[in-house]
Amino acid sequence: MNNAADQTANVAADPRISGTEASSMEMFYRRSHFWGRLTLLVIIIMSLIPPLYISFVLDAHPGWGVIATGLVGYASFIGIMWVLEPITYYPTLGVAGTYLAFLTGNIANMCLPCSSAAQKSVDAAPGSQKAEVAGVFGIAVASLTNIILLVIMIIGGTYLISMFPPFVEGMFGFVLPSIFGAVLGQFAYRTPKYGVIALIIGMAVLFSPIFSLIKIALCVALTIAVVLFMEKKKGNLE
Amino acid sequence: MGDILQIANSTAFWIFAFIIVAIVAFQAIIFLWIAARSAPEADLTKKEVKTAIRAGFISSIGPSFGIAIVLISLIALIGSPITLMRIGIIGSAATESSAASIGASAFGVELGAENFPIEALAAVMWTMFLGGTGWLVFTMVFTKSMGKTQEKIQKRNPKIMASVALAAMLGAFAYLASQQMVNGPNHTVAGVVALTAMVAMMKYADHRDISWLKEWALGFALLIGMTTGYLTTFIM
Repeated sequence: MNNAADQTANVAADPRISGTEASSMEMFYRRSHFWGRLTLLVIIIMSLIPPLYISFVLDAHPGWGVIATGLVGYASFIGIMWVLEPITYYPTLGVAGTYLAFLTGNIANMCLPCSSAAQKSVDAAPGSQKAEVAGVFGIAVASLTNIILLVIMIIGGTYLISMFPPFVEGMFGFVLPSIFGAVLGQFAYRTPKYGVIALIIGMAVLFSPIFSLIKIALCVALTIAVVLFMEKKKGNLE
Repeated sequence: MGDILQIANSTAFWIFAFIIVAIVAFQAIIFLWIAARSAPEADLTKKEVKTAIRAGFISSIGPSFGIAIVLISLIALIGSPITLMRIGIIGSAATESSAASIGASAFGVELGAENFPIEALAAVMWTMFLGGTGWLVFTMVFTKSMGKTQEKIQKRNPKIMASVALAAMLGAFAYLASQQMVNGPNHTVAGVVALTAMVAMMKYADHRDISWLKEWALGFALLIGMTTGYLTTFIM
């Protein structure tokens, strides 16, 4: 962490926290929880308005039974993700990253890669406060870029797509294996052994006959267990 | 489908869509501010803040285009503003199309069918919008307790947290990469090439101490992987 002189300078530079015990990182978490929860609450309320509008203003209510049937059908396979995804990705996203990523979506294919790119660009060690704050810059910028591009694409829509040469669409068919492979490389290049172990666990879990939606969480849990075990054996965790 | 799209593309839905877009943008900006305020304490210099922002931007271009291209398939089914609302917040083309088809069948019609009453569109919307709030509610309620658990571990032994963070990332992406690469030989090539390109660039950047390469590495690796994967479709 910082030395004492640095911390005093930071506290003095922030008139709102000078004279209190709160360090800047405590403020970081406090602000993140406050704004994270508030923005999520507003979005949850805002998510109810369009369906309420079509049901009761446009007078096209399909009946609560139909709504319940649809929701139960959807929740029966996606419901477990509501709980597992935030827990699975929390250790890498951190507090602020979780609030950002679960509002904007596209966690694995955009938020995590951008968070890790930002962390690697400033040489932040995984799990450090530097990594957490650098990751927030990465995700917040990605969220902004994504929403701006979405608006442009929605308005320009099919016209813009038709202007793309056909090979662009062919290339984007490979966006997922490329980005997942690249991020794996980004984290494995310093500890190739752990990368190989993670891949073996990944393949083993992928081909085991278990409920497919819990597979990624299981793979994360197993990799954490094996890495902690090996680090402990090496005496790195003392 | 024609009448339905006219309703789905009406002004009211555009207004809702832009409110949702504004909230997403507002949240991103407020978190940029929060991070900027805490950057010095987290050992980030002003220059590093710029570097991190640039790296996030460069790396988001490829994925964002990928997301935008798949969303076009949804526009034809539920119209532009509802697509924007669903893809703009948690939810991907895959989850939202499955929610849409489940909502439609709950009403007893098929998505994209010729005779698609407005009540069926309402059923689709309820399923998508309520379904999406599952993640939002869990995150809103439980992130704080996950943070407290992390704090406890960090206080007891900061090295454990570092190992957990690294292992979680490796585990998640090893699984996601495996899942994609078994889709076919071209997917395997794309994944392996992107991984190799990334390792080579990061090693070279470390060795020669080239920091700009680290900002661009993900964007380059993505482009190299996608191009190679696509080119091999002509020979495999």
